Amino acid sequence: MSHNKYLISFIFVFLFSSKIFAGGGWPQPKGHGYFKLFQWWVVADQHFTDNGKIDPNVTNGIFNTGIYGEYGFTKRITGIAYVPFYSRAYFNNLVSGTTGELIDPGEAINSFGDSKIGIKYGLTLNKPIALSATLRFGLPLGNAAGGTGGRLQTGDGEFNQLLQIDAGAGYKLGKLNAYANIYAGFNNRTNGFSDEFHYGFETGTNLFKNKLTAIVRLYGIKSLKNGTLSGEVNSTSIFANNSEHLTFSPELAFNVNKKWGFSATYATALYGRIIFANPSYSVGVFVNI
Amino acid sequence: MKNNLLLLFAILSLFSACIGDDFIDDEIDERLVVNNIIDSLQVGSTFLFETTFFNNVGQIEQRTINWMSTNEDVLSINENGLATALAAGNTSLIANTVLDDNSTLEVDFPLVVTEEEVVIEEPEFEERSGVIQTTTFYTLEGDFVLREETDQLVLEIAENYQASSSLPGLYIYLTNNPNTTNGALEIGRVNIFSGAHSYIIPDVDINAYSHILYFCKPFNVKVGDGEIQ
Repeated sequence: MSHNKYLISFIFVFLFSSKIFAGGGWPQPKGHGYFKLFQWWVVADQHFTDNGKIDPNVTNGIFNTGIYGEYGFTKRITGIAYVPFYSRAYFNNLVSGTTGELIDPGEAINSFGDSKIGIKYGLTLNKPIALSATLRFGLPLGNAAGGTGGRLQTGDGEFNQLLQIDAGAGYKLGKLNAYANIYAGFNNRTNGFSDEFHYGFETGTNLFKNKLTAIVRLYGIKSLKNGTLSGEVNSTSIFANNSEHLTFSPELAFNVNKKWGFSATYATALYGRIIFANPSYSVGVFVNI
Repeated sequence: MKNNLLLLFAILSLFSACIGDDFIDDEIDERLVVNNIIDSLQVGSTFLFETTFFNNVGQIEQRTINWMSTNEDVLSINENGLATALAAGNTSLIANTVLDDNSTLEVDFPLVVTEEEVVIEEPEFEERSGVIQTTTFYTLEGDFVLREETDQLVLEIAENYQASSSLPGLYIYLTNNPNTTNGALEIGRVNIFSGAHSYIIPDVDINAYSHILYFCKPFNVKVGDGEIQ
């Protein structure tokens, strides 16, 4: 087996045993799939301002419980779905530190969350560089104006279309087989929201005889600022208009066997504008079929 | 197993997303204001002074006010603030109240008692002003004038005003505590982010509030303020 073929084989084994979000440049093989039951959350008492500094805010939280899935319809076409079927957003009570009086009562909403469905098309198969194109639709199934005055959101209320190109390749990390993937995409947003440029890089490797998978990601969003002013909408948290970020996110996945496993992800923004400044977390149980 | 996993995630979600308490530092200095200060009074006449006490969170609170004249041969004043002009001369009036920590908050002002007729006129339309300043990393600056008109106030924001258009849901208030919207009067949502503009505020006394306050409702956080001088 040539070196390149060995690495390509590793990538498939790797992706089957501990799948990553959207699979990078590699589509799912026909009839195979990856499904994860996850919970993602962020609790934030500070946010990035429009000039990248950090200001405080009343504590807000968003908790998404949902399913992420990929399934190979053909050897080139993979269906992708991200469905947070239970999304909870809340903010804390605001209480006077002097008198203990409740100034502004906290609120919470529970609803279906904004979801994503898409198709990934493998542009290259069994090549050293795996290229794929993804068309993903953002479905506004969440609540864009919940609670008193519409201050709580489990969605942004807009339908968007992301076109993304991924390029992935295997490489050696010492004695370990590893992979790397980069992507860039354009997200066309509606309902007054600014369009976005998406970009990212990730690399990962399997450790301890494939029992543990370690992945690090660096990804971001750059707003084109061609929509409504942020000040003209009520959205905050992760749903504000014209928000930007560059996020560093390590993930560990423990592969119980070839089929089942669980994962934990941490993400922290290195840079941001009009978005929460606290870390987010995600845990999940995944299965390969 | 799938049902158990779903239950586990639902429970985890419910328990980890409870509404808690955020405490804000909203303590300010207490204020005692004499609402109708005059500078002269005719011998033989009386005048009732009125006061307002604002507590340490800027709320109006009923307090026992102690009145004193430094020259009781010229003017006497009772515990209700009713002053009686006795003889021509100069005096100072002192109003005070004892605070919770047993310290005394005091206001004093001079008053001349004269044999000549004194006509106490209704004050003409007043005008107060100030400077808007940011208390965050968001841009917010400019001058303002609060002007009295018949049955309304006009808050005129000057040409040098600038505010960030990035804050979702920026609102402006009149308040006696610049740290909170508690007890504040909401003027309206900010839709203009640079240049001169104005707000009409009906049925409010020009001396009723000490500050204007800019507040982001969705983030529930103060953005800036301006003391009304």
